Amino acid sequence: MKQEENFARPDAASGPGAYRQYAREWLHSHLPAHMRADSVDYRTPSLDECRDWEARMYQVGLAGMTWPTAYGGHGLSLREHLAVNKEVGALAMPESVSSIGKELAGPIIMAVGTEAQKQAFLPAILEMREYWCQGFSEPEAGSDLARLRTKATPDGDDWLIQGQKIWTSGAAKAHYCLLLTRTGTVADKHRGLLMFAVPMDTPGIRVVPIRSIDNKQSFAEVFFDQVRVPDSARLGAADEGWSAAIRVLSIERATNRMYRAWRFECELRQLVRAYQSEPALRGRLQEPGLRQAVGQVVSQIDGLKGLVERSVEQLQAGEPIGARGSLTKLYWSECHQAFASLALSMVADINPGHSALAQRAKAHFTQAYLFSRAESIYAGTTEVQLDVIAQRIQQLTKD
Amino acid sequence: MTMQSEELQPEEFGQAAQAVIAALQGQGPAEAAAAMADAGLFGICADEAQGGLGLPLAFAMPVVRVAGQMQLSYPLPEQIPASKALQGTEAGGQLLRGEKSLCVVMAAQAAGDWSGVARNGLQADYVLVQTDAGFALYDKAALRCQAEEMLDPEVPQLWVSTTGATPLLTLDAEQSQAFCADIKLLWAEYVNGLCAGALERTADYLQARVQFGRPLSAKQAVRHHLARMRLLLEASSAQAWRAQRADGCDAPREADSALAAALSQGAWVLEKAIHLHGGMGFTWELGLHRSLREHKKLDACLGAGALMRAVGADFIDRCEVTQ
Ligand SMILES: Cc1cc2nc3c(=O)[nH]c(=O)nc-3n(C[C@H](O)[C@H](O)[C@H](O)COP(=O)(O)OP(=O)(O)OC[C@H]3O[C@@H](n4cnc5c(N)ncnc54)[C@H](O)[C@@H]3O)c2cc1C
Repeated sequence: MKQEENFARPDAASGPGAYRQYAREWLHSHLPAHMRADSVDYRTPSLDECRDWEARMYQVGLAGMTWPTAYGGHGLSLREHLAVNKEVGALAMPESVSSIGKELAGPIIMAVGTEAQKQAFLPAILEMREYWCQGFSEPEAGSDLARLRTKATPDGDDWLIQGQKIWTSGAAKAHYCLLLTRTGTVADKHRGLLMFAVPMDTPGIRVVPIRSIDNKQSFAEVFFDQVRVPDSARLGAADEGWSAAIRVLSIERATNRMYRAWRFECELRQLVRAYQSEPALRGRLQEPGLRQAVGQVVSQIDGLKGLVERSVEQLQAGEPIGARGSLTKLYWSECHQAFASLALSMVADINPGHSALAQRAKAHFTQAYLFSRAESIYAGTTEVQLDVIAQRIQQLTKD
Repeated sequence: MTMQSEELQPEEFGQAAQAVIAALQGQGPAEAAAAMADAGLFGICADEAQGGLGLPLAFAMPVVRVAGQMQLSYPLPEQIPASKALQGTEAGGQLLRGEKSLCVVMAAQAAGDWSGVARNGLQADYVLVQTDAGFALYDKAALRCQAEEMLDPEVPQLWVSTTGATPLLTLDAEQSQAFCADIKLLWAEYVNGLCAGALERTADYLQARVQFGRPLSAKQAVRHHLARMRLLLEASSAQAWRAQRADGCDAPREADSALAAALSQGAWVLEKAIHLHGGMGFTWELGLHRSLREHKKLDACLGAGALMRAVGADFIDRCEVTQ
């Protein structure tokens, strides 16, 4: 591993190209082989290992790119953020264990939080001292989020929160919950919604992990039983909850994990190299049908890159991303599901006698296929995205 | 279109082209070519010294998109890059001035002979043929040609064989590669234009057509089809836009990928557009079939499948090289 001082961080004026080069060199020389999903030395990294890795990335200027320096960010533009993300994607590193904090809670706190909240929360997110979870979905409010019931009632200078969230990713490890509640009744729909930053160790909160089809427990039910929080935990004004939530969702759909296309490409490389590493499978890469299937995935990845890069250009030009995030979300989820299905059918040909690289690929893509089933569900299902595109992008009338 | 490029945005070229193409209604190919040449459409990318506008490909993209949207069957996507690739030659000047027209054949070799199909070459004067060695320009009169009217009786495809013919000139490897990337991107954007036009017409129709007491656009099944058409079109357009910005060794691969995507996704969009018009969609009069025919003719001479295979093979080979 090279010494830190060999890597001069480019200054703001150097532009995205220089930043990309810097990110590539730093990431390649610092990511340990056992954290690379395409390495034969890979083993599932612990939470602490992931935390330390991401904290280092932040320290060297590879996370918090666009956040203001006043809150610990690096004060750069989305173009540098994209440049770094391309390199993050190109290397098979672990998914962020704090993406909800960095990519959802952080931006929303910057948009609607008080100065004290910004100072308190933002640096802690970047320094990986605090993780967040997103408490939106409820048993009775999934796609129809505006029917959520979790109630916030004023009580002196405090609020009392009563209700239940479900499918809350990372709830068991989170320090804070970005919680969407209502002050009135369900009949108020999106009026009267209120957002909070709730410490997860507040008395009255109970987290019950849920086992998922990939045999993990990455999401949970979260129960709120007369949970008392001070008014200073409120994010934004009363009634601002819905617009804040919509903002969170459009960030989630448009720019969250911007590296996806480059990561899919990295995964595809891993799959092809696994075949190349094994004489018995190598010949199959000459088959026209397989080449066409690989070409199809590459072409879809190129389409996704186009959507992402265009969004960045539009955001840079000051255009709001709005509903266009639904295009990206729907495209990446379907593109990756199709790829994962292809990958699963390819790794079915790998057996215990094959190379270690091939074995690694089999383990990786079996897991990736199972996880990909969630991709058309979370962050708004396929049908919800299609509704958004029809209504807000294609602007189809109903009468 | 004689303004300075600093002041211009590519989209404005699309708007200008729209007005020019709209005025071509009812004109024959020669008059149409003269009008397009007058408006500077053929010379967008050719050097200013040669009578062109010397602009990057980004300025030609909205023009061919509009051509697709408006179902222009004139080989504009071929003639723009050919005017640039052949600039400085007699043929290049004739193409740029709209005096002659051209079609392009991506040929395959069989028993030592090169042959292939141009999407619509019946009216063409020149044929630019791609072989292993790159592109070669032929006088159409010197080639064995046969119109194929099965797919499109109005604007037939042209089967071409170069057996026994001598090219007027050949493009070197670098010129051939640049022309190939340019034309594939313009074809991709032309197909995206065909789809954009079809989507627009279909959305308008379904918002006007009342069944079950409401416009059909109120039905979720219909809305979701239209949303998917929009998604594929947006992705394919963003992909062509991105590919147009690629340079160096990425450019040919990106162009193949963008064209393969435009063709494969475009087929779904155009077929769905016809389907969503009900019985009306099956009529000659509605005219959506023209977009489908243009798409299928292009697909027949290039093949979305073959392009996808080339993209896949390129990716696989690169994995090896950098291992
Ligand atoms: C892995 C994973 C992680 C998640 N993480 C979080 C998290 O951290 N925080 C959080 O708040 N939520 C999270 N979610 C929840 C996710 O946002 C919801 O599951 C999603 O919004 C769908 O809601 P639902 O599960 O209630 O399904 P439902 O809304 O009940 O939908 C069931 C089915 O009906 C379809 N459907 C629904 N409405 C319509 C309609 N109008 N028209 C046509 N079809 C429709 C849906 O597309 C779906 O196929 C996560 C989900 C998953 C799978």
